[in-house]
Amino acid sequence: MGHDLTLGRTGLSGAVAFFSSLWALFGGCVLLVVVAINVLSVLGGIVWRPFPGDFELTEIGVAVAVFAFLPYCQISGANVTADIFTARAGRRTIAAFSLLAAIAATLVAGLLLWRMTFGLLDQKNYGYTTAILQVPLWWGYCVILVSLSLLVLTALVSLKEAIHGVAGHAHG
Amino acid sequence: MADPVSQGLLALVVLILLIAIRMPIAHAMIIVGGGGVMLINGPMLVLSQLKTLAYGQFSIYDLSVVPMFILMGVLAGRSGLSSALFRGANAWLGWLRGGTAMAAIAACAGFGAVAGSSLATASTMGKVALPELKKYNYSGALATGSLAAGGVLGILIPPSVVLIIYAIIVEANIVTMFAAALIPGLMAVAFFILTIAVYVAISPESGPKGVGMDAAEFRAATLGLIPVFVIFGIVLGGIYGGFYNPTPAASIGVFMVWIYGILRRELSFSDMLASLKDTASTTGMIYLILLGAELMKILMSRIGLPQATAEWILNSGYQPMVVLVIVLLALIALGCLMDSLSMILLVIPFFWPVLSELNGGVYQLAEGAGFGMSTEDLKIWFGILALIVVELGLITPPVGMNVFVISAMAKDVPMIETFKGVMPFFLAEMIRVAILLAFPIITLWLPYALR
Repeated sequence: MGHDLTLGRTGLSGAVAFFSSLWALFGGCVLLVVVAINVLSVLGGIVWRPFPGDFELTEIGVAVAVFAFLPYCQISGANVTADIFTARAGRRTIAAFSLLAAIAATLVAGLLLWRMTFGLLDQKNYGYTTAILQVPLWWGYCVILVSLSLLVLTALVSLKEAIHGVAGHAHG
Repeated sequence: MADPVSQGLLALVVLILLIAIRMPIAHAMIIVGGGGVMLINGPMLVLSQLKTLAYGQFSIYDLSVVPMFILMGVLAGRSGLSSALFRGANAWLGWLRGGTAMAAIAACAGFGAVAGSSLATASTMGKVALPELKKYNYSGALATGSLAAGGVLGILIPPSVVLIIYAIIVEANIVTMFAAALIPGLMAVAFFILTIAVYVAISPESGPKGVGMDAAEFRAATLGLIPVFVIFGIVLGGIYGGFYNPTPAASIGVFMVWIYGILRRELSFSDMLASLKDTASTTGMIYLILLGAELMKILMSRIGLPQATAEWILNSGYQPMVVLVIVLLALIALGCLMDSLSMILLVIPFFWPVLSELNGGVYQLAEGAGFGMSTEDLKIWFGILALIVVELGLITPPVGMNVFVISAMAKDVPMIETFKGVMPFFLAEMIRVAILLAFPIITLWLPYALR
């Protein structure tokens, strides 16, 4: 099949990469379900009635899917950077910049996980649900927190690799 | 540190500095935006906003069309749609001098009508059309230049991911924006084809005539175009006609492209997995930048930088049109350094409020407005102009991504040749921007007609 789910990593980092890839595919499947709901809703609207609550299911589904994509983006280096300004910088400088970027990624991932845990508690305590199907919003948050935990792990992998990069250049 | 202008500029300088040292744009925006608000209003406000801000952003209904169009484009790239398009276009245009290059442009436009990204269009059509152009002895400059330029049509012809993002930032109607983009997009196709005609008239040896096809082959190639027209008609026709929202339309598009790929036996299970992974990385990247842009927007509006800048411009007595031209030139310059989507997310939240203030505020009607049109119209018109100029960055040095993509495929053509080949198209685009700037009605007519 030629699908390298560990993205060329081994050991613990390889495991994180593997689960991030799988988790992104899970997010992709959620997206496909949203696609199916929308198609059924349009077809249903023609022959009988639209899928009930297609709007709110789309909102929850896409949010859940996108959060599930984030760890894969981090570990596969998909987040765009502007390389043009540092195209001529030395490898040691780049390694230092990568370290800074990895620290930023860890900070952002940690902040999101920390705050959205409280977001989940809020949603649960106040009992927020969607308007039509009465889906509790905290259900979505549960899946999202798994994504964010993975995001923290992937950021830590980036951090570890960046530290190795800096150390490697310091010794070599 | 008290006045808004120096605070805001400081934040922007830090942001640009972080981006310049290779920090992912999304992370830089989240840190500067979030950190900035923390410094101004204390940490509690941001921390409590962050409980729901990301979920709130990611679950915006209008945005849900973005991953769908991305998936649709990715599937289209793997479903054999591109080669059918090119064959069909070549049947109609191939016999002309420079015709195979014109066919490549037309096929790019067709692919752009299904996909919403320039790079996807350039790389997908490049794979199909480059070998053909080489077979007919097209010069490297013309062959690679047409494809790099043609890729831009992926964004200019709706659906377009950049346009959706613009619509969400400025709170415009996506359907209206898609309608506004159609005529300027078709104009781009016509201009690019004309550019090739002029190019081969001046330098006939760069684009030889193709060979004619026999009738059966011609018919088969033409019939191959039908699925594309059907998909485009059902997706965008349905959106324009108001039969359904963009999200269900895009879902139907995904479904139809998938069926098409299955029927043509081009889409394997492995292709499906790869498509989902491509969708995951593109979508995740875009949404994370969106979160960053939202935090930057909160920071900027707390500081009041756009208002202060607009006030400063008004007091300095510059004509609104001069300001608009300066903004567009700034976008072209920035486009040389950054990808179009990050740029839209980075600068539109700043530029748009300034232009809106110059026009007389959000609720300004055409009468007495700075630009002689209502702010709602200005939003549409400026969006299309901005869309065109940010895309120019894809074909200009030093980071013309489309040029990189095409040159990576055409290893025998030096990159400098590709940049030379793209120049005539760049000029055509400048003329088009000038025309659209001088005659806003070209952009605004279709949205009005559909209303």
